[in-house]
Amino acid sequence: MTAIEVQHLVKRFGGFTAVGDVSFAVPAGQVAAVLGPNGAGKTTTIEILEGFLAPSQGSVRVLGVDPRRRGAAGRAWRARIGLVLQSTSLDLQLTVAEAVSLYAGLFPRPMAPGEVIEMIGLGADTGTRIGALSGGQRRRVDLGLAVIGRPEVLFLDEPTTGLDPEARRALWGIIQSLVAGGTTVLLTTHYIEEAQRLADRVIVLADGRLIADASPDQLRAHGATPVIRYLLPASAPVADLPVALAGHVDPARHELLMKSADLTADLGTLVSWARHHHVDLTGLEIAPPSLEDAYLSLTAGPGDPDRARAEPEKVSYRG
Amino acid sequence: MADLHSPAPRAAGPAITGRLPGAARLLAAQVRYQLLLLARNPRAMILSLAFPLLILVLNSTARHDVGPQLETALVAGLATFGLIATAYVSHAIGLVTSRQDGVLRRWRATPLPAWCFFAGKITATALMALASVVIAVAGGITLFHAHVTAGTALSLLVTFTLGALAWAAIGTAVTALIPTAQSAGPVLMLTYIPVILFSGALGSQAGAPPWLSTVTSYLPARPIISGASQALRHSGGGIAFISGRDLAVLAAWAALGVVASFRFFRWDPARPQHPHTPAGAAV
Repeated sequence: MTAIEVQHLVKRFGGFTAVGDVSFAVPAGQVAAVLGPNGAGKTTTIEILEGFLAPSQGSVRVLGVDPRRRGAAGRAWRARIGLVLQSTSLDLQLTVAEAVSLYAGLFPRPMAPGEVIEMIGLGADTGTRIGALSGGQRRRVDLGLAVIGRPEVLFLDEPTTGLDPEARRALWGIIQSLVAGGTTVLLTTHYIEEAQRLADRVIVLADGRLIADASPDQLRAHGATPVIRYLLPASAPVADLPVALAGHVDPARHELLMKSADLTADLGTLVSWARHHHVDLTGLEIAPPSLEDAYLSLTAGPGDPDRARAEPEKVSYRG
Repeated sequence: MADLHSPAPRAAGPAITGRLPGAARLLAAQVRYQLLLLARNPRAMILSLAFPLLILVLNSTARHDVGPQLETALVAGLATFGLIATAYVSHAIGLVTSRQDGVLRRWRATPLPAWCFFAGKITATALMALASVVIAVAGGITLFHAHVTAGTALSLLVTFTLGALAWAAIGTAVTALIPTAQSAGPVLMLTYIPVILFSGALGSQAGAPPWLSTVTSYLPARPIISGASQALRHSGGGIAFISGRDLAVLAAWAALGVVASFRFFRWDPARPQHPHTPAGAAV
């Protein structure tokens, strides 16, 4: 079953096209991350899916319903979705318990307020006013209010932006426990690590266009290059290294570290050299390309040398 | 379409089967929520509850020329001052702040019907405004020995309730003209203070030119003050006289506020202008 469907979505603000002909679908139960630089169209897309903005062209469906729908059908639909907005959106005068109970009362079959408060780790702060909480704690309240109605689809718009690493990890843990229950999640983020940690699938937007749609592993394998790393033994005749490799040796650390565009050729060269000079290759590492490298190569701006490699094709793994 | 990138199939999210909560329960929760917000706003409490009482006390101790006629006018005027401070100023500042903080946007995305949000907010505002009236009138009874019969109380209730609803409706509509919470106070004070002063909230308008009386009789403060003054002067049995014209003016302002709110109300915060987008495009 398709939980989220976006077809030929276009959104213009005056003469500016924020989203230009984007299509994708998210099956029920999948966690999809929308990744992209500032101004890529991530938030515009998610706000259209949340029903805050109307598309200029194209159509979107969430759980089979047009998110702009109001009235009784719209109300029933909103009981099935949850959202964390890009910035914290809370009444600072309410206590944690008051806010959670208030929102629990809106849904047909809510989670118990106490259960939600425990889940977001604020059991010691039930009576604390939200205005007195830290940024990370407020974000956890945001998340608690988003999930209290047991949503089938959860939208998270940059849920950890501005948080310190510890608070970010705490929030990731909560999101991971939630999605284990089968909730469909659409997440926008700037952080590669966040996408890698949480998502089954990465949709990369740049300049309002979809430029990649793949699993984190596929994306990593495609757009970037693996890394060869080898700590050279002290006795190794470094001066005799073939030219292709010699340029990547750090003399101070006595280490070969290179991004290999042609792994077979580079490894062949290295193995030949080692065999010829009886050098032991124990400790040779070949690391897969990082998702960050793949992402940067996809979204690199014009003039960036990496751009040439990524520009000509759109990464897609649709069968 | 999703083949390779499909996840290991997980159970779909649990289907929601229960019924949505009923209107009465939702409304009761909203009224309670909005009353909490008002009660925890020190500015609102001082302006609405403490300030009118302070002026009454100062008048009762510092002025010796206050006759019975002026007393009722002063009590009615200050009660109205407190009423409008809550129903217009605190109400509108609360809405603008909630809008700026993204709280309205979040409500908009919940199953709560929009009418229920407004009904809850306006009911809470009216209740708080009437509480401020009760305090001012109680102050008048204590300090000036004002006499309040059951008939007086009923007339006061009708006048002040309609007045609170009219100002809350106008306050809701006016939020469309206020971009940020920082600018809410000045805009609201600038529209409220002149109206309330020229309508005689702080004393008699006996020396005012006739044209000013005519103008203020069509604005929504004067009808409340004059209605309340008449009610407070009422003695004897039965309900105190309520001017139909005063009620009609208040009802007209309430209707205008409701229509303008439906047309112009914004749920989304104003955003800083995007470098590539025209102003207001992204809301």
